[in-house]
Amino acid sequence: MSLAATAFVIRAEMVKTIRIYFSYPVIVVFWAIFPVLWVFPFLFQGRALVGSGNSAAFQHLTGSGNYMAFILIGAMVSNFVFSGLWGVGNSLREETYWGTMEYIIASPTHPLVVLIGKTLAEASVTTCIVALQATIISLLPFGIAFTVAKVLPVLLLVVMLMVGFYGFAIAFAGFTLLIKEVHGWVHTLEWVFFLFSPIRYPVQVNIITEFVSKLIPLTWALVAIRGIIMLNQRDVGLWNIVGVLLGMDVVLLVGGYFTFVALERKTRRDGTVGMH
Amino acid sequence: MNEERIPALEVQSVVKNFRRGRGLKKKITRAVDGATLTLPKGELFGLLGPNGAGKTTLVRCIATLLIPDAGTIEVLGHDAFKDSLYCRQRIGLLTSGERTLYWKLSARDNLNFFAALYGLTGKARDKRIDYLIELLGLKEVERDRLERYSSGMKQKVSLARAILHNPDFILLDEPSLGLDPQFARFIRQFIKDELNRKQGKTVLLTTHYMDEADELCQRIAFINKGKIVDVKTPAQYKRDIPHTEVLEIRCQGQPDITPIQALPGVERVASESADGVTTIKVVAPRAEAMLSEAIEHLRGGGRILGIDVKQPTLEDVFLYVTGTSLGADTAENKPEAQ
Repeated sequence: MSLAATAFVIRAEMVKTIRIYFSYPVIVVFWAIFPVLWVFPFLFQGRALVGSGNSAAFQHLTGSGNYMAFILIGAMVSNFVFSGLWGVGNSLREETYWGTMEYIIASPTHPLVVLIGKTLAEASVTTCIVALQATIISLLPFGIAFTVAKVLPVLLLVVMLMVGFYGFAIAFAGFTLLIKEVHGWVHTLEWVFFLFSPIRYPVQVNIITEFVSKLIPLTWALVAIRGIIMLNQRDVGLWNIVGVLLGMDVVLLVGGYFTFVALERKTRRDGTVGMH
Repeated sequence: MNEERIPALEVQSVVKNFRRGRGLKKKITRAVDGATLTLPKGELFGLLGPNGAGKTTLVRCIATLLIPDAGTIEVLGHDAFKDSLYCRQRIGLLTSGERTLYWKLSARDNLNFFAALYGLTGKARDKRIDYLIELLGLKEVERDRLERYSSGMKQKVSLARAILHNPDFILLDEPSLGLDPQFARFIRQFIKDELNRKQGKTVLLTTHYMDEADELCQRIAFINKGKIVDVKTPAQYKRDIPHTEVLEIRCQGQPDITPIQALPGVERVASESADGVTTIKVVAPRAEAMLSEAIEHLRGGGRILGIDVKQPTLEDVFLYVTGTSLGADTAENKPEAQ
């Protein structure tokens, strides 16, 4: 299949995914309201626990006492990551549930091309939601201000983070073809990330979490993003972190591709393509 | 080889096993057992067998959805697995069941998406979809979501998808299963008149409806317990059965047919039950002669509802050749290979 035809499949898949997404009005309404409301429980919980927006213990561990900004940035970035994992990982499960997976595999298009289309559709929707969240947060008094000088390096880090993460999600999608289950695995992975990367707390509180967190790309991206947004650090070692993320991206993309191809083939050998 | 002489499909000694369970509970079921078939171009060929006979598994192997454990499959002279892209581009596929399309999309949106998978774009795609929508009578509902369609209308969209990329070879797995008689008739006529006669497509059709195979197919393969038992024209099959009569007894409950099998002269006995009524078919040189003895054996088992002595149909031929009724579910009877 030519490059143009492949691009056309990706576009067709994006159009299809977004059309199906918008055919469920309740989900659309939920995602329109959720980005506006989700920040308030954080605000109220933090205030109730600490009594103010600043914590000395947090200052000691992270360099900033603004724990609220720490948690909100972690929540926004992890939102990106988890919705990608959920969307891409679950997408082929949905196709098997709809009974259309066999027709995708029986076509001359590699299912990975369809998965790329799904990934891009998912990324588009998530980007809109997270952008809305970021806008709302910057307007509220959390001490987070987005300027062009901050947004550009943050965007670069997010892109570098997500490329690798989508590689992981592609492997995960192959895995779901085999195990026919998504919910339990996604939630397990979410909690692994919550535990071992600094989404909600500084991983320095524990030597084990501090060590394991270094193996997760999300940690590297979060440390740099917080440094740029919260601490106004100009030198966060941006290019070093981009280099680390690039290395992880290559490993995750190549690993994701080969894992997916092997698992898709195994599914065809086992005769479980259409099962759900 | 001359291009014209290359068969549309050549299946050689294909074996497909399914493994279920682990460790000591591991069970291997042979779904296709050494299937060999050759279909010349332009033939409308039927694969006839009961549920669980291996029809769908063989079709999925040909469609490259399943990788066989042994044997080779060639589509238009190309190995289906070494040259899968070529073969997939030339195969049209329709599987049974309604849930094979996006119900939240319209017929046109569904076809647009699948067209992209086959490399159809732009005006060529629009023209082809317009043609198929017109041909299959979907014009009025083309923009409606499929969730509002009847089963028959959905099957028309599935058929449109199967031939969207103008394939040379079409695989139709139980195309009329679960459809009301009106749609089933439309689908059958479309396959025979439009696809095969007018467009000259090679069609491999699986069915467990004897009438469908008899009406549509130029040749039929009997498949039972994963094995291709025989391949002939419907007329040849009917000629080959050495008897002109088949005794059919309908009775309530599920009577024991073993005593009938033991009657002298009886060659085959099969029974199938539905809604509390069992139909017993007896193939024998002189079916009528053993009527009284058969009734005698059945008397204790349940009320006899009807008796008929019939001309053998393709279904009776299948029973005669395989010893299994087409209405039987043989999934549990598949031989195990471990």
